[in-house]
Amino acid sequence: MLFKIKSLSKKFGKTYVLKNINLEIENDEKIVIIGPSGSGKSTFLRCLSTLEETTSGEIFFQDIKLNSKNTKKIQGKIGMVFQNFQLFDNLTVLENITLAPVLNKIMSKEEAYKQARIYLKQIHLDKKENEYPNDLSGGQKQRVAIIRTLMMNPEVILFDEPTSALDPEMINEVLALIMEVSKKNITMIVVTHELNFAYDFATRVLFMDKGRIVEDGDKEQIFHHPKTDRLQQFLDNIK
Amino acid sequence: MEQFLDAFYKTFIYEDRYLYFLEGLKYTLIIALFSCILGLIFGILTSVIRDYHKQTNKLAILSKICDIYVYIIRGTPTLLQLMILYYVVFKTSTISPIIVGILTFGINSGAYTSEIFRAGFDGIDKGQREACKTLGLNYLKTMKHVIFPQALTKIFPALGNEIITLVKETSIAGYVGIVELIKASDIISSRTYDYFFPLIVSALVYLLLTYLLSKIMKLMERKLNHAI
Repeated sequence: MLFKIKSLSKKFGKTYVLKNINLEIENDEKIVIIGPSGSGKSTFLRCLSTLEETTSGEIFFQDIKLNSKNTKKIQGKIGMVFQNFQLFDNLTVLENITLAPVLNKIMSKEEAYKQARIYLKQIHLDKKENEYPNDLSGGQKQRVAIIRTLMMNPEVILFDEPTSALDPEMINEVLALIMEVSKKNITMIVVTHELNFAYDFATRVLFMDKGRIVEDGDKEQIFHHPKTDRLQQFLDNIK
Repeated sequence: MEQFLDAFYKTFIYEDRYLYFLEGLKYTLIIALFSCILGLIFGILTSVIRDYHKQTNKLAILSKICDIYVYIIRGTPTLLQLMILYYVVFKTSTISPIIVGILTFGINSGAYTSEIFRAGFDGIDKGQREACKTLGLNYLKTMKHVIFPQALTKIFPALGNEIITLVKETSIAGYVGIVELIKASDIISSRTYDYFFPLIVSALVYLLLTYLLSKIMKLMERKLNHAI
């Protein structure tokens, strides 16, 4: 089992953003989380990536309890792709991709450069390796960010609304890359509003509302046979 | 006109008095250069310690000491700091006044510089640190490779201002007997009873110095920005 989440709650100030979440996630699952804004999807991902501390409850990653003491043990194993890319503006594309694996001694500089160039060629950005993030389009930035995460050989990649900040015509190139990555033996959890993509991609879909996981099932069930009125209403609203 | 030339002669030529100015300029430059380096070291150390504490909650005591250092230095006049260091702290030692000057201006500039760096670090999107964290980079690696270089480009103009201020502020070193540029011109005025030339020349030299400095900073800024 990859993640085991027990009674996870998170509050900001006095407001509970996540309420008593219990969930198990197996290796190689491709999960999509859908739900209205403010339902706690992003916060949930941020708890899994240890960017947020939990208020109560526990998260185990491969039987390691996630807390500030164990951050070294999970170093780089839980990758994350952000809505706003978060490429490092002071570094070139190639440096962005190779910085972490080289500094963390996962690869030598030569190996990292070699691997990075293979990836860049795959996403047709091999000619941009010496350019800075500000010279790239949003879609290109996000694809570089995904490659940067892949370079760490993570067990799981969390995608926090990876296409929300993109122009419509750039969304597909990013989604296509995520589909491509999904062929690898990596667990992926994607928060997205792109329902067509979700349908093609997911092996499991979670619907969140008001800090709870309201429905959890395969895509057929979630998209075609919702059990709750709330999910039906949500699907009707965004269609 | 004759009076004018006479004053000029007495100020610069007679008894090779221009040498006083050159000597004064030398000390001004020495103090400014070394205190600037010291100020940068103090400033970066202080700001990184405080930032580290802010991010990780560790090093609480050291961070508090840094807070107090910045508070005291910013809350008291530089002249007073110079006099306290010279007449109180190093009263019995035989340390050269130049060193005391460098120390004073270095410590003083460090406090201001650390605030400039702090603003720079705080100005970086916190998502950058989060990205580093999910890539398994620890605080020092994140600071060295991502936060510091980005902050530096943003704060460069403010840093340039601080260095220019520092160069001008070294002019109070004369109070503890260091013959820097202003003190040199003062000595000459007291012999010639003419203030025009010594003061105007000092002013021109400072203007030239700060002009050159701001040109250099502009050039470096352009280089830094070019990289981004």
